[in-house]
This record gives sequence, C-alpha cells and structure tokens, in this order.
Amino acid sequence: MQKKKLLSLLLAGATVLSLAACGQQTVTTNPSASNTPAASPSQSQGTEAVKPTEPTGQLVIGTTTDLDNDFYDASFNNNATNYKLYDLLHGYGTIVSDIEGDWVYDPTVVASHEEVENEDGTKTYTVTINDGLVWSDGTPITAKDYVFQLLLESSPEMNAVDGYPSQAGYSLVGYQDYFAGNTKNFAGVHLVDDMTYSVTVQAEELPYHYDITYASAAPRPMHVIAPGCDVVDAPEGAMITGDFTADLLMETINNSTTGYRYNPTVTCGPYLFQSYDIASRQGVLVVNPNYAGDYRGVKPLIEKIIIKTVKSDTMMNELASGSVDLLFQCSGADTINAGLDLVEAGEAMDNTFYRNGYGKVQFDCSQFPTDSENVRKAIAYCLDRNEFARQYSGGYASVVHSYYGLAQWEYQESQDWIEQNLNTYEKNIDMAKQLLEEDGWTLNADGTPYSGTGTRYKEVDGELKPLVIEWCNTSNNPVSELLATMLPESMTEAGMELRATTTDFPTMQAAITHTGDKIYNMYNLATGFALASSPWYYFSTDPVWMQGGYNSNWIADEELAAAAEALKAIPYDDTETWLTTWQNFIAIWNDKLPDIPLYSDEYYDFYSPKLHDWYSTAVWEWSRAVLDAWVEA
Amino acid sequence: MGKGRYLLKRFVYIVFVFFIISILMFAIYKSMPGDPVDIMLGNSKTTMKPDAYQALYDKTVASLGLDKPLPIQYLAWMGNMLTGNFGYSTQYKQEVINIIGAPMANTVLLNVLTMIVVFIIAIPLGIVTAVRKNGVFDKTVQVLTIVGYSLPQFIVALLAIFLLAVKFPIFPISGVKTAGLDATGLSAFLDTAWHMVLPVLVMAVSGIGGITRYVRAAMIDVLRMDYIKTARAKGLREKTVIYVHAFRNALIPIVTITTSWIISLFGGSIVIETVFLWPGLGKMLIDGLLQRDFAVVLSMQMFYVVLSLAGNVLMDIAYTMVDPRVRLEN
Repeated sequence: MQKKKLLSLLLAGATVLSLAACGQQTVTTNPSASNTPAASPSQSQGTEAVKPTEPTGQLVIGTTTDLDNDFYDASFNNNATNYKLYDLLHGYGTIVSDIEGDWVYDPTVVASHEEVENEDGTKTYTVTINDGLVWSDGTPITAKDYVFQLLLESSPEMNAVDGYPSQAGYSLVGYQDYFAGNTKNFAGVHLVDDMTYSVTVQAEELPYHYDITYASAAPRPMHVIAPGCDVVDAPEGAMITGDFTADLLMETINNSTTGYRYNPTVTCGPYLFQSYDIASRQGVLVVNPNYAGDYRGVKPLIEKIIIKTVKSDTMMNELASGSVDLLFQCSGADTINAGLDLVEAGEAMDNTFYRNGYGKVQFDCSQFPTDSENVRKAIAYCLDRNEFARQYSGGYASVVHSYYGLAQWEYQESQDWIEQNLNTYEKNIDMAKQLLEEDGWTLNADGTPYSGTGTRYKEVDGELKPLVIEWCNTSNNPVSELLATMLPESMTEAGMELRATTTDFPTMQAAITHTGDKIYNMYNLATGFALASSPWYYFSTDPVWMQGGYNSNWIADEELAAAAEALKAIPYDDTETWLTTWQNFIAIWNDKLPDIPLYSDEYYDFYSPKLHDWYSTAVWEWSRAVLDAWVEA
Repeated sequence: MGKGRYLLKRFVYIVFVFFIISILMFAIYKSMPGDPVDIMLGNSKTTMKPDAYQALYDKTVASLGLDKPLPIQYLAWMGNMLTGNFGYSTQYKQEVINIIGAPMANTVLLNVLTMIVVFIIAIPLGIVTAVRKNGVFDKTVQVLTIVGYSLPQFIVALLAIFLLAVKFPIFPISGVKTAGLDATGLSAFLDTAWHMVLPVLVMAVSGIGGITRYVRAAMIDVLRMDYIKTARAKGLREKTVIYVHAFRNALIPIVTITTSWIISLFGGSIVIETVFLWPGLGKMLIDGLLQRDFAVVLSMQMFYVVLSLAGNVLMDIAYTMVDPRVRLEN
C-alpha cells in the first residue's frame, strides 16, 4: 500500500512538473508600443565595473538561425546570422550607414572623395583611401584591393564559382562587356594611383536618390584570393593581370577546407575568423588588433565573440543560466515577458527598439476579385487590426497604416501627419458592404438583387461570379491562425467568402511569383525595409519588376507608380523634398491598399548584466553595436 | 537452395527494389510545388535588377541540369549517385558529401549511446521482471515502462530540461558543446558527453520502456517451455537456466528489434534534435524538404532505402546465428 502511494505521488509530481514546463507565462500589462521605446546607450546601472582600455572577455551571442559555414558575402549565403558576420569580418567599406541609418563616406577609410557629373550624363566618383590601413596579416591595404573587389565580383571568372552573381559593378560603365567576357578591361573602373580609385556610373542609372552608394567598394585581399595576379590601369579601364581564371578562384575561394569562403584567414574587419565548429554550428571570432576603427574610429573592446544557436522556447533559460550573454531582436509576448521577468529579477538587462518593417496581408492585385481597390478595402474594414496586433504581440507591436516601418525616420517625422491624413481602416462592416455595393457586388447566385446574406455575386462579361477570396497561408504560423479566427465571420457578414489554403513557404512563394500551379488573392507575410528603401521598383507598372519579384503585389497602378517614382530622383541631402514626396506616396498607397499592414513589432535585446554600453536599433544592429559594448572581466 | 544462392537472390531483389523506389522518390519530389533555384538564389531576386537575375537564374538552372527533361535528370542523378557524387545542395551551396558528415556523426553518436544505455538497462530489467512475474517489482516496472513508453518524447524532453537544466542546473539546456570551449581530447569528449546526457536520457526513456516489455514477454514465453522445466529438473543452477537456456531462446524477437534499432541509428529524431538543438540528420532532412533541396533529401532517402533493405538481410543472417534451427533457404 505504501509503495502504491509513493508511485501515485511520483506520477502526480511528474504531471505537475510537465504542466509547469509546458505552460505559458502569465501575460503582464505591457507598455503601449505607441510610445517611443526606452532605448538607452548604457544600462549598466548599479555596477562598479570599470570599462577596459584593451579588448577583454568574451560575449556569447544566441541566435535562432543556425550559423552556416560560409563567410564570404550575402551573394553566396544570405543566412541572417552569417550576414551579420560579414560586417564583423570584412571592414573598411568606403560607404557605410551610420548610427542613424544614413549613408556616409567612412572617414576612417576615405581620405578624400570627389563627384563629377560628366557631359554624357554619367557620373564619376573618385575616392582616395587613407594610408596606414592594413590586412590582418600586416599587408598594407591599397586602392588595388578596392579595384580588385570591383573587378573580381563583376567578372565571369567569379560567376563560375558556384554561380556567384558577379553584380558588384552592375551600374558602372562597361559592366555588360566586362561581365560577358568581351574585354578584360572594366571601362567604368580605374586605378588612379596606389591610394585612389574611380568609378563611373552609367547615365541610365542616374539620377538616383542613393547615388552615394555607387561610390561604395570594399577591399578584398588580392594576395590571398588571386596570388600572382595584379591590378593595372589602362585608358580602357582597370584589369586584372596574371593567371586570373575560374580554376584559380575555385581553389582559393571555393576549396571546402582552405577556400576564402569557408576559411577567411586574411580580413580587415573589427574581428577575425577563428573557427567554425560544424558539429555544433558555433562560430568564434577574435578581435583584430590591426583594426583602425569604424566610421567614428571606435574599436572593439570585447576580445572574443561566440555565435551559438538557441531555441526561442528556451533561450531565456539559456540567458539565465549564463550559457549565452545576448539575445537580440526578441519579439512576441511570451518571449518578451519571460525576458522582462529576468530583468525584474536582476538577472538580465534589456534594450528595446522598433522594427523596420511590418507583418501584412498581401494582395495579388492582378487577380479577380482583389484587382478591385474596393474589394481590398472591404477586406481591411472586416478586420479589427488593433485587436489583432494586441492579440498577436501581447502589446509589443503597433498598427501601421501604410508602406512604412516604425523605425523609419520618415515615420517618426510624420506621426502627426499620418494621424491626420491616412485612413486607419477601423473595423466597419457597414463600410465594407457599401464599398462592395459600389463595386457592383449586388446580386445573389441566381442573379436576383442581393438578399443581405450569403455570398455576393457580380456580373462580369455576362457571367455571374461569386465574391470568393482565395487565401494562401503557411502552417504553424500564429498570424495565419489569428487571421483564421478573426476574418472569416466578418467577411461572411459583408458578403464575402474566404477560402483558406495552408501550405509550406516554398509553395506559397511559387504562388506569389506566379510560377506555381495556382495563384491566390491574398497571403500573409512580413516585410522589412532596406536602408536604401526603393519603392519605385516595388510598385513599378513595368511587368519586368513584377516578374522579377519586386512588385509582388502585381499592382499596375499608374498613380501609385508615379508617386513612388517621384522619390527616385530626389538628391540624398534634400530631406525636405524627400519627406513631402514620401508622405504623398504613402497616402496614395494607403488609398490603393495593395497590402493590409497588420503590425510592426517592438523588438527587445536581452543581455547579461556583465555586458555594458549595449545600444542597438533597427538600423544599428548587433553587429555594429558590439563595437561600443564591453564586458566585465 | 544454398545460403549463397539465397543471398544472391536477395541481392537481386534489393537492386530491383532500389531502382523502383528511386524512380518513385524522384518523381514524387520533382512534382512538389516550389522552385529550388528560386529558393537557392534567395534575396538575389530583390537585390539584383530583373534582367540580371533572370540571367543568373537561367544559368543556375542549366548548371544544375534542371533544364533537361525529367528522365534525363533522373539518369544523371542516378549515374552520379552510383559513382559517389551525391549532387549539389541548393540550400548550403556545397556538395552534399561535404555537408552531410557532421550531422550524420552527431546522429550516430547520440543513437549509439542511447542504444547502449537502453540495452544495458532494458535487457536485464526485462529478464528480471519475467522471472519475478507478477511480483511487486515486476508490477512497478510495468507501470513505469508503460509511462515511459507512452509519454510523448517532447513532454519528457521539456520535463527533463525544466528539472535538470533550469530548476537544478546540472546539465546544459541545449547544444553539442560549451560555447567557446577550446578543449581537445578527453576534455572535449567529456564536454560533449555532458551535453549528451539530457537527449540520451529522453531517448532512453521510451526505448527502455519498449524493450523491457519486449524482453519480458519473450522470456515469459520461453520460461513456460518444457525444456526449461527439464533443465530445472536436471538440477541446473537457476542462473544457467535463465541466461543460457531461456534467454538464448528468447533472442529471436530481440534480434528483430535490435536490427531495426541499428538501422535507425542513422535516422535522426526531429523532436530531440529540435528541442536540444542537436544538429543531426532528422533536422537536416526536414530543412532539406522545406528548402526543396532535393539533392540532400534524395541522397538521404536512398541511403535509408539501402539501409533498410540490407538490414532485412542482416536480420535473416542474425536469426541463423542465434537459432540453428533457422535456415536461410526456409
């Protein structure tokens, strides 16, 4: 009897523990995401640690995306974690984004620069780099290394290495001939002297709002990647001399053991590649003692950085146990609340900022019936987006009303204007009905006037068509699940039928790009804005940009395209004109509604109290922020 | 029919089945929606001008041989595979042979250790419970093995993490090695072993539950036999009766389950690998499917096909070894 009681107790205990382990955390009352997050440059209150003068200690960074064994650039591997490592390993780009997200010449790298607009409409950028920059092996960095990068990464030889795109000089004069292998000289690239290079941009690429980025180049170690080769200049353009072949690059870049792609031994970024453990998928970087600093002259103070995979379900426990020191860009109520519990207990610190993007319902505007603006708006009126954002994020997100992210400076400058001028599409079934009536959805299935219940019909080319919205979504997606709860009933009430298909991402992607078996009316996705946000491509009426994946809404609206195109030619420093033109664009977008923007997250970084001076934002990500930070010894 | 002829016949059968399955697998995967080249080129689509992207896309399609008719693609794939070229991973942008080694080693290491733990515990436990059938010990073990056998692995995994890594932080929550550890040799081995404790424990729970009951049932059947009574009547020691006479005759069902377990050594567990972040073949297979990385997926599937077919033959051979009455020609 005693033994039976003991057994019962054990089983009951196990059940309680399993419930505790699997249960969700209690949702706390969160700060409103409509307020600016309290991102502070340093949150090291209550410590007496002394900032070191030399690099010391290590920082273990937890990431939910496995690190891959590929360290060249995003053209070979666009894994999000690897992407950040390129920043840390490969430095000294001539053009960088600063802490505000603005493009600037890097004064640590660039001694002087000159821009000349030529008579034929082309524009030449001449850049002189500073003396004294060196590779990690001590070899001096010269303009040849910059020209080598432009030539290498535009060459047909490099294109033969695992299909590298070779697009570095795409906008420059002579690119097509050089890439096609018609000539060894790249007409738009010149080696002016040992420390100076120039690039000439094709006339058809100008004017361009972000034209400063055309002057961008980053050095590649020619002595490692193309030993025995040289870069020489000629009136026809710069060229690589010596035995520069695809076979050479296959060995120096693509050899799976020694290739620069997998084992970048000579670099010039703030950190050096130490190791990648393929079994644990951990990467280790150590500080580069030869690094001259970022655009502000800031050099790293953390000696070693380790990248480790974590799982979102248990990553806060990893932080609490000390097996990781930093978790970046955490989102979602459960994760954030668990992190804030650690902060409250004094076991962690936090840094918060807004996301530069949003989650959305994306319409295919080439498909019936979402080719109609009224139908798209009617769907928007069927959804309570505030409630959606609240339920999805637990309060750690805000609703956006057009094509912008909360982190964009344009949004921050336009908050009042947005409140006054944009339609917020508050849930309003009557408005949805009215829009559908105006659009001609006024019939029943038998052609009689719409009775007020059931699916509406419309006569199109003599045929009665039902108002059915085909929705494609992905499995195990909380946004899909929430939409499936909130949308169908309201849409039915308005006279629409929502047909959902759940699939995996590649299938949905094929549908979006019109390469799959079926095209749907709407999808739920998320989008992020690049620093060089270029809406003129994304809303162009040219079919090339639709088939090319940019205009994934397949919207061919001249007014919207013109509003976006108007941004392209505005000079980069004319922020006033840019802002008013941008406001006009997002107002038109808000009216055309190619997407229903759903939420823009508030992100949190959670980190160990041993980490100090941590400050990151959507435009100053962890790979940049790590240079200012330091850890207690 | 002699043993050699039997084996030859089975070999021909294996080859036949291998090719049939390979055609089916190839056809199924190729009919899946989703474009592997589009996925492979990823962000290039929105970082390159459309004409340049299209040129790159066409070139990539041609370089992967995807522009050829399906029968030609099949023949090229099969020809390459039979000569040891498992193709090019569109997900990792590397040869499959270069990327599959580490996860396979991780999976095999975890499974071998689990198998050792399970057999060391489950076989003696199964024998003892059979011998002490219906006793308190037997009943307790029966209840615990049912619990272990029936609890979903992810529940056991979460419970183990909560108890032994969070509440009482004895073992690490996840991973294969301590972040930044520079150790080699014994220290590195011990660190990996420390990381393996929880996943092995979780995998062993269900394994012990199943095999203990399997051994117990087989032993109970054998212990009822007349020759066991005869052995006891002859005055043999009980240990000799149980371990020499009874257990040997209970081995056939155990051989069956052992062989299938050995085959599964190379099969990764999605649940364990995901929960404990143990990069193995299970996760690789799922990732490959989601990324339409057909070279990886087809290579792994065909490897499992060969393993299963060969495993059946090995099982037949093992039967003849543990039971002289079994003949292959039968």
